[in-house]
Amino acid sequence: MLRITLTSAWQHRRRLFGTVLAVVLGTAFLVGTLVLSDTLRGSFRSVFTDVNAGISVVIRGQGGGQVGDITAQRPLVDTAILDDLHGVDGIAAAEPEIEALAQVVGADGVSIGGQGPPTLGVNWIHDPGLAPYDLVEGRAPAAPGEVAIDTETAEAGALAVGETATVRTPAPIEVEIVGLLTPKGGASAGVTITAFTADEAQQLLLGRGDRATRILLAADGGTSDEELAVRVSELLPDGVEAVTGAVYTDEALDDLGRDFLDFFEAFLLVFAAIALLVATFSIYNTFSITVAQRLRESALLRALGASRRQVLASVLLEAVITGLVASVLGLVVGIGLASGLLGALGRFGLPVEGASLVVGVRAAAAAFAVGVGVTIVASLLPAYRASRVAPLAALRDVAVDRSDQSRIRLAIGLVLLAIGGVFVTLALVVDGGALERAAIGAVAVSVGVFLLGPVTARPMTAVVAGPVQRLRGVTGALARRNAVRNPRRTASTSSALMVGVGIVTLFTVVAGSINATIEDAVDGSFGGDLIVQSGGFSGAGLSPQIVDELRDLPEVDGVLGLGLGVGSIDGQQSVFSLVDPPALEGMLDLEVVEGSVYDLPGDGIAISQSHVEEDGLRLGDVIEIQLVDGTVLEQRVAAIFVSQAADAVGTRLVPIEAYAPHATQLGYISVMVALADGVSLEQGQTAVESVAANHGSPDVFDRGAFTERAVGDVDQLLAIVYVLLALAIVIALMGITNTLSLSVHERTREIGLLRALGQTRSQLRAMVRWESVIVALFGTATGLVLGTFLGWVFVRAIAADEGFGVFAAPVGQLALVVALGALVGVLAALRPARRAARLDVLTAIATE
Amino acid sequence: MVRSPVRRSVPSMDTPDQASPNAATPAPAATAPVARPAARAVDAVKIYGRGDTSVRALDGISVEIPAGRFTAIMGPSGSGKSTLMHCLAGLDPLTSGQTWIGEVSLADLNDQQLTVLRRDRIGFVFQAFNLLPTLTARENITLPLALVGDDPDPDWFDTVVEVVGLADRLGHRPSELSGGQQQRVAVARALVSRPDVVFADEPTGNLDSRSGAEVLGFLRRAVDDFGQTVVMVTHDPIAAGYADEVLFLADGRLVDRLADPDAEKVLARWAQGEDPVGSAPGEGSTA
Ligand SMILES: Nc1ncnc2c1ncn2[C@@H]1O[C@H](COP(=O)(O)OP(=O)(O)OP(=O)(O)O)[C@@H](O)[C@H]1O
Ligand SMILES: [Mg+2]
Repeated sequence: MLRITLTSAWQHRRRLFGTVLAVVLGTAFLVGTLVLSDTLRGSFRSVFTDVNAGISVVIRGQGGGQVGDITAQRPLVDTAILDDLHGVDGIAAAEPEIEALAQVVGADGVSIGGQGPPTLGVNWIHDPGLAPYDLVEGRAPAAPGEVAIDTETAEAGALAVGETATVRTPAPIEVEIVGLLTPKGGASAGVTITAFTADEAQQLLLGRGDRATRILLAADGGTSDEELAVRVSELLPDGVEAVTGAVYTDEALDDLGRDFLDFFEAFLLVFAAIALLVATFSIYNTFSITVAQRLRESALLRALGASRRQVLASVLLEAVITGLVASVLGLVVGIGLASGLLGALGRFGLPVEGASLVVGVRAAAAAFAVGVGVTIVASLLPAYRASRVAPLAALRDVAVDRSDQSRIRLAIGLVLLAIGGVFVTLALVVDGGALERAAIGAVAVSVGVFLLGPVTARPMTAVVAGPVQRLRGVTGALARRNAVRNPRRTASTSSALMVGVGIVTLFTVVAGSINATIEDAVDGSFGGDLIVQSGGFSGAGLSPQIVDELRDLPEVDGVLGLGLGVGSIDGQQSVFSLVDPPALEGMLDLEVVEGSVYDLPGDGIAISQSHVEEDGLRLGDVIEIQLVDGTVLEQRVAAIFVSQAADAVGTRLVPIEAYAPHATQLGYISVMVALADGVSLEQGQTAVESVAANHGSPDVFDRGAFTERAVGDVDQLLAIVYVLLALAIVIALMGITNTLSLSVHERTREIGLLRALGQTRSQLRAMVRWESVIVALFGTATGLVLGTFLGWVFVRAIAADEGFGVFAAPVGQLALVVALGALVGVLAALRPARRAARLDVLTAIATE
Repeated sequence: MVRSPVRRSVPSMDTPDQASPNAATPAPAATAPVARPAARAVDAVKIYGRGDTSVRALDGISVEIPAGRFTAIMGPSGSGKSTLMHCLAGLDPLTSGQTWIGEVSLADLNDQQLTVLRRDRIGFVFQAFNLLPTLTARENITLPLALVGDDPDPDWFDTVVEVVGLADRLGHRPSELSGGQQQRVAVARALVSRPDVVFADEPTGNLDSRSGAEVLGFLRRAVDDFGQTVVMVTHDPIAAGYADEVLFLADGRLVDRLADPDAEKVLARWAQGEDPVGSAPGEGSTA
């Protein structure tokens, strides 16, 4: 039996090709992702280890760290500690490190970086072992107003040693570039560095001369890092700790992992999973067909005594072989994919140059587990079903299969739809936990729709095929009949595409809804006529000076700066908006329920209605906010207003005067500008931009541009998602091709007959093509309906939980999805149609 | 048991003036010899395979199929009957020699033109697997016309359907029809487009004698009443007895012909012919 299986697998290699390809693509995506993130982890580790190699001990404030989603800063360290360390044995070098944000403005007046990786402002560290960079040109900054910047920033800003430049901290400062540096390990990963003298860094970046972000120590030859850490710890005041360089490096890597690599990996894995899910459907389908065909072919074998068990075993064995072959190929292709992507990432400044690919056990194990696993899972049901078919049925010609109008399937499908419906209704009607209920409902509905596929295939294809038949006459009619002759096959063929299109639709609808929500929320987040926004979210922010400068413009009537504060409220890291309350007036149209927002006192806080409802707060209650520097602000609730988390002011408003003394670097995220009467938008924009030019040329938007930009971000992300989903669609396409090829093979005699009766080759090709298009459109339509429904549920559930969110189905894009579905059908039919047309009429007639 | 042909007892149809639409001069049935043949082969040679394994399926055969007549082709298994039919019908190209349908030389036609010729001028009835399983009887019958985009002439359609006795079965699919009914549908299909020639390769091979007799009766009526030209390959002397003439093939050559045959005459001729290689008459073998 083993020999028979192997020879049969070999003889059917052409049929298995599609299966193998689907698995290969899915596993390759998976392996590629894992190898890539392992490699990135490895190279980040080596870079960090290099950079921190000379650091034995780090002295730093306790606290801060990761709380929920927010990384809170550690308290600063008193540099007086350095004096206490003088007498300690084993210290070869000790230097303060000061680290905050400082963004260099290029020669063209535009700020450099800030789109993700931080724009660091630091002090020059003299000890080459402790410094995370090497000087490559010029000299170290020695006096106020002198800086060394990294070479990539210099290049991006067209700046050279000896030139002057502006650095925003966030207040713009004139500096002279005296040196260029490169980060140790070579790659900047997009981080920009501006190094001042220690004194100036303290003044500019920390606001006081006696503090540092941390203190770095290098041990002498005779002392281990651990020993030194213990020795130093004894001298440290409360709230300050000493950790070894190794711990420090690990933490930095963990942070990076959490902030970037884990997310990156998870994001790609989601799409690998989608591709594999689609692959599972198409493999399932291929196996169903080959098993059915084989059963008939091997009826003789069974009559000779092959047991059902042997049939089952032989199918599974074939699946294992297929899976193994596909896994090996997937592994190879995946590694290739990773190395290609690695090159691409190198161009974004990631430290991948010369990094050798890390093919971990994880990636290899995943390739085989998933490759073989998916194939086996997909073949189990067909194999089981095959083994249960009565021998006589195997001999019968099952040209038109009506076997699967199963009542049980119908019943289970309908029950699942009902359950899903109930959960979805509950999610939207009952308060709280909407998303969880909606998720359960969504899964139930999806599985229900999948189960009902064979039942809906006939009526649905009739609808889809109606126009085809009208348009293409008998060719269309034949195509339609072929498409519905085996509803189960049609349903499972199209279900791969259904999943793909469903997910595409889901993303499209959700993105469309997000955009609609954004547009809707512009009212809540756009005040005045113009808004000034610093380019990225990791830049230095906007200097409070800009507010004053703007206010002095004759074209400007009012200016509102919006800042963001971080602190712990009730033990929870929270964010709150910082404003100058009187400036709100006439700028943002806040709906105030109680108290007054515009004359919020320095010790006051305004909160949104949601806090009243959820936290039971009332006017006059005191809210304690613990800040990073240890201070506790006590703010009294002085106003209650209506707002949503998405709105510019968020749900808590604190006067900036209360927060400013405790902020290390005070900057605004955005500044809104109301123009004076009679000033046109263009005039205003020009005036505001002239001021902004002194601040690194942040963007100045009017309402339309502001909306466009916010929407553009979502669209950009959606474009990436589309690219990643393309693989799933390709796999679905191959599934249809595969099924069609098998069907064509199965119908050789029919095709011969049609040709004998006078069907031309082009009619034959059209027949196969239209069948493919009908099947594809069936899958597309189901996916479209399901995806739109799930998107609607998702958006509404979030709206129910969060109190905001607008549903919008972008009709144009969805129409494109339908066109794409039809195109998939046409493309999928190319090969099978060609093969069908090439069949020799006589052999086709003669084929038994 | 041998029955005599039933052709003379077939009641005449009420469309006696019905002429074949495509043949320029359809000869009335069973009258004077025919001037123009409906199909013709001259020095036809068909060799399958190459070298040692090559088979000479047709060995320089020349035949004429008279229009408006019912011609049967007999011969031992492997004698080239099917091959001759396929070559005459444009399904298979000759190795050398020529074939014509009417005045059209098939050698000059490309695949597309051959396909159109089959569609417009030729009807087929095969031994088995004549019908598309997804189509109803009605759709199967009208398929050749539908492929051109034509609607069947409703009167003619009704006539044909009535002749083959399928009026109440038109909505059924092949799987819901008996073997005999399926062959009758195939005959109806072959007739409905009023082709120049109907080729039938052992149309009754899979049928019992009663169903076979019905199918043969319809072919006979098509010739008698509608002036149709029919060529039928058969192993069955009784079936051959329905024809106007029987051509005997052996080893790819025409070895004999018999006009106005009946079962006894065919059997007698068969018996006196060279030893029928490895095949008894009546054996229903197909490729
Ligand atoms: N496609 C083919 N390839 C090779 N040889 C063929 C092919 N078709 C027919 N032959 C050979 O040609 C010869 C004639 O075959 P043909 O099918 O015409 O015989 P037949 O008279 O119809 O026989 P039967 O009564 O068994 O149907 C046979 O020897 C056959 O083996
Ligand atoms: Mg034959």
